[in-house]
Amino acid sequence: MASTTGASLKFTSLSSSFKQTQVPLRGVSNVNSVSFPSLRMRPGSLRFRVSCAAKPETVNKVCEIVRKQLALPDDSSVTGESKFSTLGADSLDTVEIVMGLEEEFGISVEEESAQSISTVQDAADLIEKLMDKNCA
Amino acid sequence: MNIRCFQRNFSAALPPLVPLQLPSPMETHLWYILPDEVKSVALLNQYSELLSPCERENVNRMCGDQLKKRALLARALVRTTIARYQMNCEINPRSLKFRKNIYGKPEVEWQNEDNFSPLPLHFNISHTTSMIACGVTVNVPIGIDVEEKQRRIKNNITAFAQRYFSPYEVKLLTAISDPEVQCQEFIKLWTLKEAYVKALGKGFSAVPFKTFTIQFRAPAIRNLHPPGISVSEASEEIVESSNDPTNLTNNWQLALLEVAGSHYAAICMERDKTVGGEANMPMKLTVRKTIPFVEDVCVSGTDAVLALGGIIEQ
Repeated sequence: MASTTGASLKFTSLSSSFKQTQVPLRGVSNVNSVSFPSLRMRPGSLRFRVSCAAKPETVNKVCEIVRKQLALPDDSSVTGESKFSTLGADSLDTVEIVMGLEEEFGISVEEESAQSISTVQDAADLIEKLMDKNCA
Repeated sequence: MNIRCFQRNFSAALPPLVPLQLPSPMETHLWYILPDEVKSVALLNQYSELLSPCERENVNRMCGDQLKKRALLARALVRTTIARYQMNCEINPRSLKFRKNIYGKPEVEWQNEDNFSPLPLHFNISHTTSMIACGVTVNVPIGIDVEEKQRRIKNNITAFAQRYFSPYEVKLLTAISDPEVQCQEFIKLWTLKEAYVKALGKGFSAVPFKTFTIQFRAPAIRNLHPPGISVSEASEEIVESSNDPTNLTNNWQLALLEVAGSHYAAICMERDKTVGGEANMPMKLTVRKTIPFVEDVCVSGTDAVLALGGIIEQ
């Protein structure tokens, strides 16, 4: 199995520039040094916050439940803008998160609504909408 | 032979992929990578070169190194796997284009070029933290799902099943008293159901899990063989006859494996009626563990692949 000059290489974040090292791979030597432009994350799409957006406490609670379900490290950032897919949630995680939210907030989420959730903010907004309905 | 075949736009350092014959009809090729085994930064960077700019952006959006690595390996696995099957002319994995069907299922968008013939190839990928898999078939759609055997379900399994599974499946699961066994059976069912909806090309949102039942059938012959797996429209009654119009098993073939001792892998492929795909024909299966450009190991018939369900021929 090919390996690079072992110990000195650590997997660095892919967002830094991809500088190819002069490392022979399988005996084929000489790779032209190529550096990728540093890839910046595209800024999250701006959302107009209408007055019915969820309260920060709700968003925080959702973040907490998501962190627990996805077993995210403490230093990872989870905010309203976070997309479930980029946090690494698969379909089983998403379903578990929805069930966790239902339990936490005493609501019932229909499948169609559940499918429309892609960010933490979406979830929080839906929760408050359903909670308002409960109290209506 | 057309000289253009030999143009390579990617780094000359990458050794060529070993070319392969396409799977035959009624055959699945299953490829998997174990991300923990891929440690070389240089190799990861080379994989990154295979991706389209859009794919690289998507990889970069993932939160954290581990997720980025996984997303990168998934794309590299798909591209390199498909590239292997173009035998008469080497295909550059980087030149493959993909699109999604209306439900979001990825498929190859074959380009119209002289030196390059489209392949009747279908693929599907699945990833978990510790394994990324890609299944390949010819002529017929395929869906796969992999899951860690030890995955812990945070919610109450009975509640979960009642919410998402069909009545028959709920009955089966709730009858299991050992919580660990119950969890494993739940995961097996989940992967099979995922594989089915992915094979349909529609995914979890378009085909609610409640609408169909997956069933392990007692083997007709001695207990040496794993039970066959059937899929049918959800109903209270257990479907026995394979002539039953609600028995979707006439159209879809399912298999469940334990891979690398650590994961369940479910495969669903459409039966190819043109080659006489009757309900009892086995699914031919070849499983390979790979680190693209580094090593490919055929693990079919070894301890790394255990048939747990379905009529399979390795």
